[in-house]
Amino acid sequence: MTSTTVEAVRLTKHYGGRSAVQDVSFTASQGEIVGLLGPNGAGKTTTIRLLTTVLVPTSGEFSIAGHPSTSASEIRRCIGVLPESSGYPAHQTGGEYLRFFARLYGLSRSKANSLAAELLATVGLEQRAESSVSTYSRGMRQRLGIARALINDPVVVFLDEPTLGLDPAGQAQVLDLIRTIAKTRAATVVLSTHLLPEVEDVCSKVVILNHGRVAGAGSVGEVISTALIEQSAELRVPIDLVERARNVLAGFPNLAIDQLSEQPDVLVLAVDGAGTSGGSGDVMNAALAAITAAGIPVLRFELEGARLSDAFFKMTSEAVA
Amino acid sequence: MTLQVAPPDVRTPEESRAITERQSGWLVIAEQESRDLWTSGRGSLLLFLFSILLSAVTYLTSTNQALNFLEQRESVNLVLQLAVAVGVLVTLVVSADGISGERERGTLESLLVTPVPRRSIIAGKLIAALTMWFATFVVTIPYVWVLARGVGILGQALALGFCVGTLVAVGLACVGLLISGVCNFNKTSIAASLFLMLILFAPTQLPSGLPQGWFFDVLRRANPVDSGLAYISSILVNGHSWTQDLSYLITPLLTAIIAGGALILAGPRLVRLTPGVNAG
Repeated sequence: MTSTTVEAVRLTKHYGGRSAVQDVSFTASQGEIVGLLGPNGAGKTTTIRLLTTVLVPTSGEFSIAGHPSTSASEIRRCIGVLPESSGYPAHQTGGEYLRFFARLYGLSRSKANSLAAELLATVGLEQRAESSVSTYSRGMRQRLGIARALINDPVVVFLDEPTLGLDPAGQAQVLDLIRTIAKTRAATVVLSTHLLPEVEDVCSKVVILNHGRVAGAGSVGEVISTALIEQSAELRVPIDLVERARNVLAGFPNLAIDQLSEQPDVLVLAVDGAGTSGGSGDVMNAALAAITAAGIPVLRFELEGARLSDAFFKMTSEAVA
Repeated sequence: MTLQVAPPDVRTPEESRAITERQSGWLVIAEQESRDLWTSGRGSLLLFLFSILLSAVTYLTSTNQALNFLEQRESVNLVLQLAVAVGVLVTLVVSADGISGERERGTLESLLVTPVPRRSIIAGKLIAALTMWFATFVVTIPYVWVLARGVGILGQALALGFCVGTLVAVGLACVGLLISGVCNFNKTSIAASLFLMLILFAPTQLPSGLPQGWFFDVLRRANPVDSGLAYISSILVNGHSWTQDLSYLITPLLTAIIAGGALILAGPRLVRLTPGVNAG
């Protein structure tokens, strides 16, 4: 049975007259990866700093692993954090760095040594354990930061832009690591990032922030359907079967069919939302099923407006407007 | 590369707390901060410059018999005063980097999310800064030994320098950490502490032949460094007992108590990402 490990209720943070975060509410459960998304300045880092007790909320409440926001010390014992643009002491080695933090959590020198070695191996840095952090690449530093975030076997791990400035291979490594943390440690991961396609793959839940407020929250599917984006699709069939495909699709009154002049074998399908029960996704599914049932081979079917990025842009641009 | 995360040994928060309480966070921080200070080269460089200054002054006071009209006791007093003054003021500058430096280097937030209390973080940093004073004092010992040979004041001079210097260093290190906590930038913190260092150091270098009225005496007693040095001088040069001029130690003691108290009270509001005691 999974339990709620993060619960934020109307979290608000003001700096003077400026509101950084306003009425942010969401929950996360054990083993869940929650993507905290939003444009720059949306309030992602402030939200993480509130939940990690670095900042004190102006109003609102939260609890981490059952500890209320007033028990900052208890919360710090059960969280791991990779802050945004985290700095590292350049003259320390990766091993020294982790041993120091392990000892801050009360481990003896020998236990700190073995835990540091284990975590360095976990993040693939065992060969560089005794190298100075100043010689690490950005990706290696981020992985070292993640290792530090795991040092106390946290119930909740907060990662603020862990893939920032990494090349695609580095991003993939970090995301793979995040997925594994949630799976093997049953930890909740709250991940702030700009990598929308990757979030869609990794996160079980997303919270989209814009101007300090929650613009959308829920599973990826829920957020996309909440955004009510007009969906369209491109269907490619063999050129000699295009007319037959048009005839099959004509049986769907809510479906507008167009043909690309530069690609005559591609049909563009758009759902007229008015009067469509069940949503545009159902119409698209039915149309695709009809095409295949008619024995027309589908060479390509690409749905537009059904990605998290589409919902993200719609939600964040709507709030601006 | 596939990264594998091993399932951890489960430790309950209660167990973690018990362990954390057994091993004091301030001690771990003090140890690491001291190591950072001395292995990064910062402390070593300051100590090297300090020893050059002390060497030059000791050489001049001990070898140039034609120009040097100082008595041997006064020579010891001069070198010891310089060592104490420079040692404690360098400690002030080192402590001024404590909080603002971590903020600027982006390493503070990682420390803030550990269960170590804010006051323990300050205590650890204070102790690390004080290692600078203790190191300068250790460097001073051979110089004082060379000058004090044959006068029979070696032990007294070293004990006096250590006690008064430590008292002043504790007060100024607390002041340095307070400055560091309220400054937006590390450069501002260092500049402010250097300015304070000049204000406190300059009066100690005024020629002793200047007319000294009540105003000068008040000024001297208000300056924790100058009044501490006056106490040393009264014992080493004037031959007073340790208890005779204790009033000179009021300002160093008050500085340590007030700055230390302010650190204890305002500590949790100082060790934060946004500087200043009133920062939200």
